[in-house]
Amino acid sequence: MGDREVIVSINHLKTYFQDSKGFGKKRIIRAVDDVSLDIYRGETFGLVGESGSGKSTLGRTIVKIHQPTDGKILVNGQDIATLSGAALKKFQKSTQLIFQDPYASLNPRMTVGEIIREPMVIHRIYPMRKEQDERVAELLQIVGLKPDHILRYPHEFSGGQRQRISIARTLALGPEFIVCDEPISALDVSIQAQIINLLKRIQKELGIAYLFIAHDLSMVKYISDRIGVMYLGHIVELGDSKEVYGKPLHPYTQALLSAIPIPDPDAGRGKKRIILRGELPSPINPPSGCPFRTRCPYAMKQCAEERPKLKEVSGRLVACYRVG
Amino acid sequence: MEQRKTVLEVKNLKVEFKTDQGTVYAVRDVSFDVKEGEILGIVGESGSGKSVSMLAVMGLLADNGRIADGDIIFNGENIALKGFADGKAYEKRMREIRGNTMAMIFQDPMTFLNPVLTVGQQLREVILNHNPDIGKAEANRRTVELMHRVGIPAPETRIHQYPFEFSGGMRQRVVIAIALANRPKLIIADEPTTALDVTIQAQVLDLIREMSVQTNAAVIMISHDLGVVANLCDRINMMYGGKIVETGCAHEIFHEPNHPYTEGLLKCVNNPEDDGRELTPIPGSPPDMLKPPAGCPFVDRCDRAMRICKAQMPLATECSDTHSSACWLNEKKRREEAELHG
Repeated sequence: MGDREVIVSINHLKTYFQDSKGFGKKRIIRAVDDVSLDIYRGETFGLVGESGSGKSTLGRTIVKIHQPTDGKILVNGQDIATLSGAALKKFQKSTQLIFQDPYASLNPRMTVGEIIREPMVIHRIYPMRKEQDERVAELLQIVGLKPDHILRYPHEFSGGQRQRISIARTLALGPEFIVCDEPISALDVSIQAQIINLLKRIQKELGIAYLFIAHDLSMVKYISDRIGVMYLGHIVELGDSKEVYGKPLHPYTQALLSAIPIPDPDAGRGKKRIILRGELPSPINPPSGCPFRTRCPYAMKQCAEERPKLKEVSGRLVACYRVG
Repeated sequence: MEQRKTVLEVKNLKVEFKTDQGTVYAVRDVSFDVKEGEILGIVGESGSGKSVSMLAVMGLLADNGRIADGDIIFNGENIALKGFADGKAYEKRMREIRGNTMAMIFQDPMTFLNPVLTVGQQLREVILNHNPDIGKAEANRRTVELMHRVGIPAPETRIHQYPFEFSGGMRQRVVIAIALANRPKLIIADEPTTALDVTIQAQVLDLIREMSVQTNAAVIMISHDLGVVANLCDRINMMYGGKIVETGCAHEIFHEPNHPYTEGLLKCVNNPEDDGRELTPIPGSPPDMLKPPAGCPFVDRCDRAMRICKAQMPLATECSDTHSSACWLNEKKRREEAELHG
């Protein structure tokens, strides 16, 4: 993998929020806590973890919706914190985000054509109206909608079609990297497969890199080249998707993957599942040492003392004292 | 298996909603039953009528909805609206049944639980409502016992806490405890784990299975997640466009699917233990229930549709004692075989 070009490089990223609720001491929520990873051009990097693990915050920090507290994000070699003017515009064009809920992310008062054209107008990439119209028609075709849909409003479309409209808008500026934040979880099963295959086809044709965030672990496996497993703001395991799913090394990854319900009554019921005790601790008051130790079936004394660092074990990164 | 008592039998159920755009035919002639100790799965897309058919059984349809036709026989008693003298008598009887012999578990525990009452108060209320003469001390004892049974640690102290002090998984355990409070004969669970994380989902599904074995209650599990249904259910109804298009035991549905919709849906999900298989989506989207199709509801998305599929709804044909499917292809196959032999 050494010869592949890195498009997004995240170095020791920390995104903290301040809890402003109530009286007394202000509390710090460590949503993303010291995460480092590289995303290569044209690949899909899957990010999995339970709610509250920080996966969406990480994705949103990369597209500059959240300010990082510490650490650096390089996109195309440039530190995104220092961008301004033309360089910032260029970054915004190259990096896009697809949201989870296609009902909330499209303006109900705009036609489909206006929605898809808006980014082009803001970034002034096609000065001629005719060129814009041609581009909109081309984008509609890419995402599998009809040219006459251009004058209709979002409420006239089903959930799957709306997600196609969002994807067309995302593609309008010719991005190189898209953060897909749970793009299919609001859709029906038969429609999910349509959108996943569309995203795969677009990637093949246009060479876009995805950060694919989802809690549906079987879909993440299907679409991702590499995956990162997050727990309480930390990456605990990172590696080739097939290898991680085939032989998870971190105890949390093992438990998470064993909990996936297999769509096969014969295989699924015989499967040995690791049932975790308890639930995710609060990111306001994370456990000392390894974040997973409070639920880990193998926790040792050492785990409470210091957080295990990610280290390379058979071609992947794992943060656990028992592994390697 | 044969000796098990039927707890619920739904016959030719039709449910309609009046809306500004016209009448929505949400459930169109649905029949099924569920027996003691059995877990029945109902699978379908949004708008397929899976939740609405169960709301009709519970008597919880919205004001603009009504049971247009059909019988709902629960525990030997017809609880469809037409079995009662008037709406008042129906409401009264349903209030006695719900939370007592018929219990439900909904998707979002936070909207189900009352935020300003302690968990203990809410559990006790359900027990006392249906058993007014047992006394407070006995109700308290049962409350603690129920919380212990559903795996909530330190129930003696936690009964004094409010729902917001519980995590998502623990809240759903409270909801399950409330459902079990009066030893129900039937538990209806509508997407009970959709709001939960996968590791917590596994805990809750285990609990539901355990409770069904312990109490011998019938469970109806509504879900869109084929993985969940495969692991939990004995039998499965596949719903599409307000109709049951296929029914069978879990093995038959997943390994010998007959209806093109079931087949198509199985190709839409990724089995993480089965590498390299491509997903094949079903093209198009579900039918508009304001104008339900005259024939098979799946006809517009089916790759093997014939002319008759559009004109007439196929009848269910039996594939085995437990397995049946409503598709014209079965009739075509039967005729071809008959010609071959005669």
